[in-house]
Formats: sequence, C-alpha cells, structure tokens
Amino acid sequence: MSLSPAEYTGFSVLDILTGLDCRDFTARDVAKAAIATIESLEAEHVGAFISLTPEMALKAAGNVDGTCVSGASPFEAGLLAGVPIGYKDNMNLLGSRTTCASRMMENYESMVNATCVSKTLAAGALPMGKTNLDEFAFGSSTETSAFKTTHNPWDLTRVPGGSSGGSAAAVASGMLTVALGSDTGGSIRQPASFCGVVGFKPTYGVVSRYGVVAFGSSLDQVGPFGRSVADVALTTDAMCGHDVRDSTSQNIDPTYYKSVLAGQREGIKGMRVGVVSEYLNAPGVTAEVTAAFKEALQRVEDLGAHIVELELPHAKAALSAYYVIGPCEAFSNLSRFDSIRYGYCVPDATTMTEQYERSRAEGFGPEVIRRILLGTYLLSSGVYDTYYYPAQQVRTLITQDYHSAFEQVDVLLTPTSPRTAFAVGEVSDPTTMYLSDIFTIPINIAGNGGLSLPIGLGLDSGMPVGLQIIGPQFKDSNIMRVAAALEATYDIPRLAPLVQELSNTPGGDAR
Amino acid sequence: MKTLAEVFCDWEAVIGLEVHTELTTLNSKVFCPCKVEFGAPPNSQVCPICLGIPGTLPVLNRAAIESTVLAGLATNCTIEKQSMFYRKHYFYPDMTKNLQITQGPVAFCMRGGLTLEVLGASAAERTHLEGTQPVDQSNVNGASPADGYVTRIGITRIHLEEDAGKLVHIGGESGRISGADYSLVDYNRCGMGLIELVTEPDLRTPEEARLFLQKLRLIYLTLGISDCSMEQGSLRCDGNISLRRRGTSTFGTKTELKNMNSFKNLHDGLAFEICRQAELLESGGTVVQETRHWEPSKNRTIGMRSKETVADYYLFPDPDLAPNDLSDAFINEMRSRLPELPDARIARYVTTLQLSLADARILAGDIELARFFDRALEAAPQTASTQELAKPLANMLINEVSAYLNAETLSLEQTKLKPEYLLELTQLVLSEEISSKQGKEVLAQVFIQGVSPAELVEELGIKQVSNVEEIGAVAQRILDANPAKVAEYQAGKTGLLGFFVGQAMKATDGRANPKLINETFVNLLSKGTESHG
Repeated sequence: MSLSPAEYTGFSVLDILTGLDCRDFTARDVAKAAIATIESLEAEHVGAFISLTPEMALKAAGNVDGTCVSGASPFEAGLLAGVPIGYKDNMNLLGSRTTCASRMMENYESMVNATCVSKTLAAGALPMGKTNLDEFAFGSSTETSAFKTTHNPWDLTRVPGGSSGGSAAAVASGMLTVALGSDTGGSIRQPASFCGVVGFKPTYGVVSRYGVVAFGSSLDQVGPFGRSVADVALTTDAMCGHDVRDSTSQNIDPTYYKSVLAGQREGIKGMRVGVVSEYLNAPGVTAEVTAAFKEALQRVEDLGAHIVELELPHAKAALSAYYVIGPCEAFSNLSRFDSIRYGYCVPDATTMTEQYERSRAEGFGPEVIRRILLGTYLLSSGVYDTYYYPAQQVRTLITQDYHSAFEQVDVLLTPTSPRTAFAVGEVSDPTTMYLSDIFTIPINIAGNGGLSLPIGLGLDSGMPVGLQIIGPQFKDSNIMRVAAALEATYDIPRLAPLVQELSNTPGGDAR
Repeated sequence: MKTLAEVFCDWEAVIGLEVHTELTTLNSKVFCPCKVEFGAPPNSQVCPICLGIPGTLPVLNRAAIESTVLAGLATNCTIEKQSMFYRKHYFYPDMTKNLQITQGPVAFCMRGGLTLEVLGASAAERTHLEGTQPVDQSNVNGASPADGYVTRIGITRIHLEEDAGKLVHIGGESGRISGADYSLVDYNRCGMGLIELVTEPDLRTPEEARLFLQKLRLIYLTLGISDCSMEQGSLRCDGNISLRRRGTSTFGTKTELKNMNSFKNLHDGLAFEICRQAELLESGGTVVQETRHWEPSKNRTIGMRSKETVADYYLFPDPDLAPNDLSDAFINEMRSRLPELPDARIARYVTTLQLSLADARILAGDIELARFFDRALEAAPQTASTQELAKPLANMLINEVSAYLNAETLSLEQTKLKPEYLLELTQLVLSEEISSKQGKEVLAQVFIQGVSPAELVEELGIKQVSNVEEIGAVAQRILDANPAKVAEYQAGKTGLLGFFVGQAMKATDGRANPKLINETFVNLLSKGTESHG
C-alpha cells in the first residue's frame, strides 16, 4: 500500500477518512505522499512554506495508524484523522518556529500550541509545516514576507493574495489537503479567491484566537482553506467553540458539516439572497469579476432562491474605519516585540533606548513600520478623539447595517475581490493594495462570517474568481448551506492545473 | 530651612495621594492562573500569559473585581456597572507586553471618601482649621471638641490594573538604573492584581496623609483583600504636593514624591518636601513639576525625572477583554459581604461595650487585636455580662498581651494564646481566683505552652485563697501570735497592717486574696479596739 502524489493531491478530507477506514492506505502513506508532493513542488515552484515539519507529520500519522490498527474507525482518531494540514506561520505550534514572516521573529521557538493548532492536532491532522504570509499578516499579496515570495499555483508569475497566501497556495497546489489562516480584513477570503480554493472566515468568536500572534484583536479570526466546502466545514467543526484562554471566544456547536449536507441534500430553494448592486460600481471592479459574479447570481436564482436588492449605507466608510482600528490594535499588539526577552536584537547597542529603537527599526519591515507609526499617531492624545473614537462609531453603524440587512435576507453575496490575482511586484502603492480588500473588510468590521467560493476563471486573466458569501452573526450555517448548494452546480478544478502537471511528472513519487 | 509649623503660618500645603495595593489574597494573578506568593524564587511564578508570549491573551480573574468592588464600597465610592479595561503603553523592561492593562476614564469605583478624625498630637500639626469640623459626640463617640478635628478626604477613584515586574540593578551607585553594569528582571510580580486609589487634593498636613493611609490600610486588612505590607511593597504610596499662600485658592506647581515605604517615611517625606518647596518659593524660585525620590537616611528628596510634558500612554480600550457589566445582584452580594468596618467597630466598642474611646481606637486600630478581642468575647457564656468582661479583656490585650508581643517581637498568631484562653484568664482574675499579678505569670506560660489557664492554675496550685472562713482563721492565728503588735496597732500605729498582711501571705504561700485579707485584718483589729475600749 502506498500513495502517489497524483492520487494524494486529489483527495478530500472524506476521501482520506474513507481510505483509512477501508484500509486502502495508512495515515503514514498519506504523510509520505504529502511530503513527496511538497518536495516536488515547494522549493522550485510555489514557495508556500516558511518551515516544514515532516517528522511531526509522520509521528502524528503513526498515532492515527495506531488507533486504526486496533480495529477502530479513523473517526475515533478524530475528524481530521490522517489529513495533512498546514498552519499559517503566525500560529504557535510547539516544536516549530513561529516567525510571522518577520526578521524580528526569525528564530522564535513556539512556547505554546495555539488552540486552533492543538484542536486540529487532537482531531488527528498531520502537521506538514508553517506557511508563508505577509509580515505579521499586514498585506494582501504575501509579498511583504521577510523570507520568500509565494507564487500563485495557477500562474507562478502572480501573487497568491494575502496575507494567508502560503496556506492558500499550498492547498491550491495539492501540497496540503487543508490549511489554516487568519483573517483580519480578508486575509483568508482574498487569497482563497486568488488561488481558486474555498476559504472561510467564521463569525468573530467561533474559533479561539489563543496562540495566534495578534494583529487586530477585535478583527482577527482563524479559519480554514480547503478544496471543497465540505473540507472547510469539517476543519471548522474540529476547532470551533469556547476556549477558557480567549474570553472573546463563544460556545459554538460543531455543526458546520451538517449544514453542508443540508445544502447538498435540500438545496436553497426559497432562501433569500441579498445583493448590493452598488458594489459592482466600486473602484477597480473588473469586467471579468462582474461577469462571473452575475453568472453566480443566475445560478442562485436557478436553484430557487430569491434575490433581494439591498443597501448598506455605511459600508463605504468601512475601509476608513478599518485603517484606523487595525493600525491602532496592531501598534499595541506589536509593542511586546522589544528585543529584551526574545526576537531580533541589535548586538551593539550602548543604551536601552538605542536597543529598543534600532532592534525594532531593523527587525520590522516597511509595511509593519508603516502601520505601527500610523497606530502611534492615531492613538496620540488629542488625535484619539478625531480618529479612533469616530472609527468605533462608524463600526457600530456598519454593524447595524448588516443587522438590518439580515432581517431581510439569509445570506449576502459580493465578489470576494474586485480583481483576480495580479503579477508579483505589480502593485507597489499601499493604498492600491488596500483596495483589493474593499469587499472583505466590512465583514471584519461587523464581525460576521464570510466564505470565498471559486466560481470559475476570469474571461480575461484566466485566473480564478471568488464569490463571497456572508451570513448573519453566529449563523454561519446559512453560508455553508448556500456554498454547498452552489458549489455543486460548478464543475471546475480546485487543483491548479499547472501544478497538477508538475506533480505528475516522473520522479515526483517518493515511495 | 523653616520648620513645618513656621511654613504653615504662611503657606497651605495641598496633598493628594496615590495608593497602590497588591491583591495578595487572591489565588492567582489578575489575567492568568499564576500563583502570587511573596518571596518565591525569581521568575518561578510566571506563565506564557503574564510573560506576554506572542499569541497569548488575558482572561479576567473574577475574584479581582470582587476585591476592587469591596474596596470601593468600604470607602463610600459609587460602583460603576459599565466600565472597560484599557491598554496603557510605555516601554520598560519590567513590562512583558510594554503595555499595562488598567481601567479607562471610568473605574469600578468612583467618587468616594473617608472621614478622618484627627486627634491629639496629630491635630496640632494643622494650624488653620478652615474646612474641618470640631470633634464632638456626633462624629466621634466619646470625644470632646478639644481633642481635635474631623475632615473629609475625597476619593477620586479606585481602579483595577496589573502590576509590573521588578528590576534589580547590579553594579553602579545605590542600586539605581543609571550607572548600573546590568539589570535583572523578576516577573513574579508581573500581572498581579493591583488596585490604585487616587484621592482628591484634600489633605493639608503630613499627619493627615499618614492617618489617611493608616485608615485605608486598616479597611483593606478588614476586607481581607491584601496583606498591605509597606515593607514588602504590597502597599505603596506616592504623594502629590504643592503649596499656596494662605488665603489663596489656585493650585501651585506640584511635585510627585515616591519611595515612602513606611508611615513614618510618608510623613517625613511630605514634611520635608513641603519645607523644601516653601524655601524655594520664598527665595524667589519656582517649583519644577517632577517626580522626586525620598531618601530617609539622608533626610532629603531628590529629583528623578522631569514631568514637564505629560507622558502619552496611547490609551485605548483593550480589545481582548469584553466590557465590564456588573449586575445589581453582584453589587448587592458584595455589599452583603462587607465585614464590620473600623469606624463601626470603634463605635460598637464605645457604645455597646462601654470601652473608653482611647481603648476602642487602640483595639480597633490593630486588626489582629480587634479580631482576637471579638472572638474572646464571643467565647463568653451567653449569661455573662459582656460589658463586665469587655473592659478587663481589653485591658489585658492592650497592656499585658501587647507588652509581651512587643518585647518578643511576635504577632498574636505566632504565639499559642487563644481567644478562649484569654477569656478564661480574665475570668479567673475577675472572680479573684488569682491575683492580677499571678494573671501575668499565667499568661506568660499560656503564650508558650498553649494550655488552658484554669488547668495551669490548678496544676501550679496557685489558686488564690478567697474563702472568708479560711482567711479569717489564718488572720486570727497571726493576731493571736502577735499580741504586742496588735496592741501597738490599736494604740494608733495603723501602719502595722502591712506587717499582718505580709505574715498572712507568708502563711498561705502568697495565695491569700490580698483584698480579702486586708479587709479581714481591718475588721478583726477594729473589733478588738471596740471590745477593749
């Protein structure tokens, strides 16, 4: 029994669980196939990982196999038994470094397991490595990583999106079955859209943030990437729920997969689906995105749902509020990186102040410094009342907008991003970069859940386009249901074809 | 430099205090489950959360809110139901996150105050009494107006925050950071619950400041929210001092005084700083707004860092912690948990137990003595008149027990004396079964052996002879044996009474009840006079 990379890259979570259950292969076979796939794709082509943890994966696989040998079903080893998983490198995994893609944290050894990590490991997942991101998750292309450029598996000259670009690219290329990301303004949904996979940011509070290096504490939410809605739902089920170590986490029942089954079996006939037409006139929305979006709406109608036109009067202020609240929280959260106890430290400072200043100036990259400076300014006495306080008021208004919208509809649809993946180095102006998140940011401001579903390739760029499905707070079941039903109407590959070819070349099999 | 009294002729001092108190009686730190024992090895009581390890989050320990609300209720504050934790940012190595979680504009406890009774020598420091009330029966039980004055000290707020770690500077001069070779950090204290009380600038003399802090400490000890040790740093007090000319109302420039780690240092530091400012102002200088360090050994304050510009702490609400929303039920539960506070205790001692005001203040002023006293009284049988017992019990504690503790430098807890033993001993003396002198001897044994005084008296055979017939017989024998002396006495040499008493004591091994034997001799000898005359 063994698995070729070609077989492995086609597997869903359920394929792995079923294969283990039928004794077609072992978890160690899955781990070895994943390692082989990573060996053939990672270094020369995709660059999705900052560090790899094959020994940990093989050990975890051994544990799963141990459970199965005793005659038990793999489900007893957990919902993700034998499933190769990757963690964004801002998530603490004991036995690995957590670098946040920053020189500041280049040699930082994790001291705890993040709750999302320990829960997925407890569910039997195989930890393959830590994935690349924009430094400290500040960015939308993964280009601000201090260590490497991650390439979009659909076109290696393009970015995978960001900030969780490594996770998205690793799943799209088949190196991982599922991966975790964190989403502060679109950092799961936008790269999922760029890489043609499913990416889900649950409602704020569904997954514990403990152990994930904080960017914007009131905006950050952990979520999964997968090549199907079912995989994303199963991964969420494995890690949702209240955590005593995060007082903002909530009691959530693991019923995400159940909602997917409901969508697949019962469809979405009679559901009310909201659309904001004004959104399509937003700056930078490309024709191919508009076309794909309209086609998706047609399919939703064909499934028997009702399209409802909506207005979200304050949503246009979301970006402004986000670029006040986000930097303020980031400035504060990043204060602890001071070179005293851990992290990058200049060796030759002569005073304490010099050590602080130079270590931070040299350890942080330009985008991080930009946001820290912005936050410092925005929270200065006298300035606070001009920006931070109004931003919180705007936040309340936006949240109310969504509340009233969801009195009329069950889900809301938007494109995930105004455009498809751009070329590496193409966007250098920060404000242009910030615009790629105009549809995802309001959802972090309001706290709702949002999922990006692939809806085909752009007519002009040939790159994947994503549809964002937004649900009422703590009713992510609506999202799962619509996503599963709509997914079934598309017959598009989730595995990037280019990479599929590469992984099928002889020698890619490391048996 | 002028004396304080001289300065106060022309100047009025305006003093406000900031009192930091560690919640040492909690089972854990305020935002993590770490223990909080004093004196543990450096960095042994830390975890990823209080070390600020990237990714960790604070989770509020509910008991810390309880302690804070109790402190507020006991100091007449309004309890604010809605409040938020804020982050206060500054870079210093004793901080693991370079931010301190504290409360924002609204604290759990706002707008309170304490009444200070300033009596005796303490009152003399204040030369102008405007804004105060004379002491009388209505505000201090048993006091008369000549005893002093009463003044109210406003409390701006009491908020909950986390403490920072401790820096130890190695090398260089006097253990300070400037000039040190290197510094060590102990994060055991980092994240401990700390309540900060800020007073209004209502204090006018160093004595008032000292009395305020003593009263506050006693309240906190009564609540059981902290061990309040100034020596170990669980109670820390900073003072803000400014001067203004008598009769004016605008505030002068203030300095902030630190390192006043005893009541004496608080008083002396403030007194010195008042005199220093007066001299400066009178010589045409100006006071610089700064933090100053009190050096008791050199009797001086020295400037630490200038506070001309207000530091910017970039305060904003902590997004990791939900806004606080205290229910009426919670606040009422805390109110019902309030123990008898020191003022009420003094009033009870004076009114119900008929103790003198001075005794009541001494007893109630020492939480250990007061609790011991209350327990001893509770142990008395229901039939006994508590008033009758209270006075001798109080005397025993204030005099005998305190003297022993002071001499041995022990606390009550460290001896084997129990409240019921002290009660028993008091009753033995009260019923004249032993003399008060014997009482002292028995007490000294009980402290060490921890046995019942009644048993000890029995064992030692020192029970006083108080039987009238027995005493009468002894006395008669002595009179019979000394006819010459009897005659002398009856001829007017009454000083011989002492001789007879001494003989009786000798005959009973000192166990005769001295009062009874005295009376008996006087009676017998006067009878004789009558019969012969």
